[in-house]
Amino acid sequence: MKKRILIVEDAPYMREMLVEMLEQEKGSYEVVGFAVNGKEAVEKYKELKPDLVTMDLVMEVMDGIQAIGEIKKYDQNALILVVSALGTPEYRDAAMRAGADGYLWKPFTVKNLTDVLTKLLEHHET
Amino acid sequence: MEKLTVKGLLVFSFAGACALLTFYLGVFRGETRVYPHLFYIPIILAGVWYRKKAIYVALFLSGVYILVTHYSLTHLSVDVFERSTILIVVAYIIGLVSEKRAQVEAEIVRERDKFQKILSTISEIIFIIDRDFKVLELSKPQLRAGIEMEDGIPRRYRRIPPSQLIERKEVIGKTCYKGFWGKEKICSDCPVPSVFENGKGVRKMGSFVLADGTMMYLDVEYVPVFDEKGNVVQVIGDMRDITEQKRMEEMVRSAEEQLRETRDYLDDIIKSSADAIVVVDMEGIVRSWNKGAEAYMGYTADEVIGRSNKMFFPDPDEAERIMERVLKEGELKNYRTIVLRKDKRPVHISVSAALLKNKNGMPLGTVRVSRDITKEVELERKIKEERDNLNLIFESMPDGVYIVSKDYNVEFMNKVLIDEFGDRVGNICYEVFHGREEPCPLCKNTEVMNRKTVRWEWHSRRKNKTYDLIETPLKNINGTLSKLTIFRDISERKRMEEELRETCKRLAELDKMKLDFLSVAYHEMRSPLAPIIGYASLLEPKLPDKERRYICNIEKCARDLEEMINRMLELARIDGKKVQLTFEELSIPEVVQKVVKKLKPAAEAKNQILSTLIPELTIQADEQKLLAIFTNLISNAIRYTPEGGRIDIMVEERGEDIRGCVADSGPGIPAEHLPKIFERFYMADTSMTRKSGGFGLGLSIVKEYVRLHGGRVWATSEPGKGSKFFFTLPKEK
Repeated sequence: MKKRILIVEDAPYMREMLVEMLEQEKGSYEVVGFAVNGKEAVEKYKELKPDLVTMDLVMEVMDGIQAIGEIKKYDQNALILVVSALGTPEYRDAAMRAGADGYLWKPFTVKNLTDVLTKLLEHHET
Repeated sequence: MEKLTVKGLLVFSFAGACALLTFYLGVFRGETRVYPHLFYIPIILAGVWYRKKAIYVALFLSGVYILVTHYSLTHLSVDVFERSTILIVVAYIIGLVSEKRAQVEAEIVRERDKFQKILSTISEIIFIIDRDFKVLELSKPQLRAGIEMEDGIPRRYRRIPPSQLIERKEVIGKTCYKGFWGKEKICSDCPVPSVFENGKGVRKMGSFVLADGTMMYLDVEYVPVFDEKGNVVQVIGDMRDITEQKRMEEMVRSAEEQLRETRDYLDDIIKSSADAIVVVDMEGIVRSWNKGAEAYMGYTADEVIGRSNKMFFPDPDEAERIMERVLKEGELKNYRTIVLRKDKRPVHISVSAALLKNKNGMPLGTVRVSRDITKEVELERKIKEERDNLNLIFESMPDGVYIVSKDYNVEFMNKVLIDEFGDRVGNICYEVFHGREEPCPLCKNTEVMNRKTVRWEWHSRRKNKTYDLIETPLKNINGTLSKLTIFRDISERKRMEEELRETCKRLAELDKMKLDFLSVAYHEMRSPLAPIIGYASLLEPKLPDKERRYICNIEKCARDLEEMINRMLELARIDGKKVQLTFEELSIPEVVQKVVKKLKPAAEAKNQILSTLIPELTIQADEQKLLAIFTNLISNAIRYTPEGGRIDIMVEERGEDIRGCVADSGPGIPAEHLPKIFERFYMADTSMTRKSGGFGLGLSIVKEYVRLHGGRVWATSEPGKGSKFFFTLPKEK
């Protein structure tokens, strides 16, 4: 069964790249939607109920940290992977405190992404 | 009429008896032969006792004889008259002889009395001793110890009662040793025998300690008395109490001694005095000249005594002036003048002089004590110069100088202060400067008077100026203290400090802004790397070999760029104090192995030997930072060491520290660069940049991480042989 993934990312080429990368793992993931800011992310999550959310942190309207908080408030079991260029411990801590389940620091390769996703999903299921 | 004495009665009785016997024999017995020789008895007695009066007895008896013979017997024969005449003649002769002897005796008695009288009137005690040491005479009663009496009371030796006194009659006829001393034998030290023997007088002094502890001195002169043949028959002792004389002598002697000592002392002083002591008479002629004068004037006494003292003064009237002043005032004290030495060099002297007078009060001259004060004068001149200089300094100083007495009286203000506040010298400071009636609450006078130096800042609201005040006790020549205050106008500095503070604050804000900006900037710089690396990784498997290599290179470069940005970001975080350590117990071999495992491929790629010598040690440290320290040092070593080189990693325990060392066999670092290699963006050899890559941030991070742990990092190097990087970390947090 394909994992349904919501991509939250303001940069279009990054969205495209993520889709492309996820498609490399044939049949494992299905991108069910996109959001370009936190607010939209929360809305989309409520609408789509994805298995996993990739969450950028620096976005307009509502930033990623806030969005994580909102989503987690809505669904405590939501699985959220932060994908951000911000990688210092302060941001990581902030994201983790808000409820993020994983953190992928930009830049990353296909392998980096799929390894993290695999580990995260396995962990989540157990 | 002489009284009828025993002698008279005897003569009278004998004469009567003789008359009655004659009468009885002639008248009643009719004997013609009477015994007129019996008549001699009363005649001789009368002759001896009554001298010429014996003639009356003889006449009486002759008369009786003639009458008896005439009336009783037959006739008066010639024989009768003859006998009577003999009687009278005998009586006369006896009377005459007796008279003569009596006269001589009376003369002797008179002489003796006179002698006695003379002896008793002289103060000395006179005694006379004959050859058998018998005392023939003693002029006055005497103490047994031989001490003179006065009015029957011992003059000094009062312990002896008067009954113990030796009376004249007690000793006369006795030996002197028995009489005076109660001894049986002649005294051993007796001078009398020698006088008898030699015929020469001897004088002997005796002394006695009296009951009251004082001394009594006796002077006894033993004088021989010669007979007509020149033999010594007697010795006259002439004893005098010389205690008083002795005492006087002693007094005189001790006074003389004292005087002599004083004189010697004064002489010594005068002779040895460094001061010149000179006597000048009324005519200005030098009469005395001591060594001190010789020493600094250069003239000897012989050269100046008898000459006028005018020769010493460069000013010809000075000698007169000094003399006049001494005459007028009787003395002169510390008068300063200049004299010329023998070598014509001027000498500053201080003269004190006194007038010498004779006993009638007539001035004889002056005695002058003078001292070479050239050095003092020079010193004074210097002091004055210094003071003038000091005043000059005070006047030309940009700081205010202010002196106020203990009683708040303004004693001095320099020009700066006078210009600023007006000349207030002679006024009370709190009155004139602050319009107060008592000292200002901030005043430090009390502290300064307690010999403390106080430094404080005072802001004058009136002038809108801030002064840095240094207030310190100033000891005056008379020993009192004043307060010296240095006013430094620091208003400008204060303003600058304020500005500086503002600037610093702004700079700190800017710095924070910069750090925030950098953090954001570094993140922003990372963002483009995400698609580069991401797409490259997507592209890679889809490309043929050659193109895949290209894309790999792109990816690798992007990774390098990312690493660089990471380091810059980390340094910015350290600067922003955002990096905190998480301490945990770490095994050093494990940490090192992790790093080595990661870096081994890079070393192998350059054919380098990576050797480790790590004992089983643990440390309390932040794992990530410790990993970074080793990673940076080892990767640096790999980067800078040429192909086939060697890298040694060693860790050892050093007391409380762990010491790590990464040694390489690279080109080394020149000594002048060693201290700077831990600075950011510093590279030992810019020419290496291209060959080795990197920005030199790795060592900066190592330094910061080591520093955060409380350790130290340094490097040693031998160019051509290699470098060694050391760091220490405390074992315990």
